[in-house]
Amino acid sequence: MMKKAVKYILAIILVLFIASNSIYFKKLSDVRASAAKQFDAAKYARNYLITQLIPAADKAPQADDLLVLLKSTPDTAFKMYSHGLDIGNIRFFIVQGQGTVTAVDENDIYIVTKNKQALKIAIEYVFGNALRDAPGLININDFTNTMDLNNIAAEIDKIVRAEVLPPIKSKIKTGDKLTFAGAFELNQEHINLDKIEVIPVVLKIDK
Amino acid sequence: MMKYFKILLLVMLAFASCQNRSGSKQKKIAIIVSTLNNPWFVFLAQTAAARAKTLGYESKIFDSQNNTALETDHFENAIADGYNAILFNPTDANGSVVNVQKAKKAGVPVFCMDREVNSPDATSQIFSDSYSGCVSLAKDFVQTLNKKGNYVELLGLVADNNTWARSKGFHSLVDYYPGLKMVAQQSADFDRNKGLEVMESILQAHPNIDAVFAGNDAMAMGAYQALVAAGKADHVKVFGFDGAEDAIQAIKDKKVSATAMQFPKVIAQTAADDADAYFKGKRDFPKKLPVLVTYDNVNEYIAYGKK
Repeated sequence: MMKKAVKYILAIILVLFIASNSIYFKKLSDVRASAAKQFDAAKYARNYLITQLIPAADKAPQADDLLVLLKSTPDTAFKMYSHGLDIGNIRFFIVQGQGTVTAVDENDIYIVTKNKQALKIAIEYVFGNALRDAPGLININDFTNTMDLNNIAAEIDKIVRAEVLPPIKSKIKTGDKLTFAGAFELNQEHINLDKIEVIPVVLKIDK
Repeated sequence: MMKYFKILLLVMLAFASCQNRSGSKQKKIAIIVSTLNNPWFVFLAQTAAARAKTLGYESKIFDSQNNTALETDHFENAIADGYNAILFNPTDANGSVVNVQKAKKAGVPVFCMDREVNSPDATSQIFSDSYSGCVSLAKDFVQTLNKKGNYVELLGLVADNNTWARSKGFHSLVDYYPGLKMVAQQSADFDRNKGLEVMESILQAHPNIDAVFAGNDAMAMGAYQALVAAGKADHVKVFGFDGAEDAIQAIKDKKVSATAMQFPKVIAQTAADDADAYFKGKRDFPKKLPVLVTYDNVNEYIAYGKK
């Protein structure tokens, strides 16, 4: 009788031990918070902009040189200066330069460079991958989640819209001298230099 | 002694014949696609099969009919039948993971085409950069509507990553314009007939809309049919995604406003080429390989990105 009771007690302890190790409870809010903590795209974008994008823009080819090269020997220009995370014909260039403002509208600032190259700089639709991909410094295989990469591009653009554009949009006018750096996309199969629109990361009205 | 020599000779012959047979055996590639009820996936599968044939491999196309259970059967059959690689267009980003793992366990490499699985077990995943394509499309959407109006969004399969990549890319730009109001967002499973049905029921609740953004061209064409039936096709702008043949024609006929061009040929051929490289010993494939979606030059292409 005693033996049987010990057996039952041991069996109950065993069942309780297994059950307690099989089931656990967590607050849904804690699980969501830990999932959200996995990748901070805003932090990554800020760090990338300061430590990689602006230094890369500082070393970028001058717009005058790059546009001339794109007109004369586009293959060389694409090979030397373009980057992209994706496969396909769309490639991204990083560029810097100075110019005189010829017009301003809701979407763009239109400039002419020292060597008479016309260029558009976006001030409304600052979206897309150009600033993320043009310097060629981000490796896609460092990211297991594709949406993290998309969020990085969105966060970089958000910084530009919030911090780079407002001081310029309120003051810029025809005739101003402008220093800029940024990135643009170009389809290497269908090259159309008139469609180039630079997504800026540096914009400065020169005095 | 002679007896042992004879046995040894027989064993050696047996080994030699085995080696000879396996060396000359043609490799086989299984092409498992989510559905053949959509011409886009038919093109994807047929292009992959044609490339496999060009590379000297036997191939067979399996249709999962948007059903993960059927997809599992196809994987089990492909593994049992000795297919050496699988070019895979998954039905469900999470639900298809188990099939990829099964193949990996059996030593069969899996190359995902167009759609992702949420797992690092696929040998490589080649897919359209849907998010970026929809950012470009959204810019045109905002400009066409002059930054104001009511619109409807038709989502694809809820379990597919592309559905959300497209939706998020679109909203990453459109949501910056408070004048643009989404009055309804509903799934139509990437299907033309469902696009028609869903749009019909949405129009009853929201008759005053200015635009429709559909996650693929099949749903866009279904929505357009519903708008024609409701007498609203002239006013409501329809935007799709894919670059399908009928959508390209509909843009030319001014029935549909725009679509984003995917390149299924590039995706399918890259997957087949990767399988070939795998057979030849390559192992260091990029885990993810996005193919850029073109928006600006759609008029310079014909259906499916063909020039």
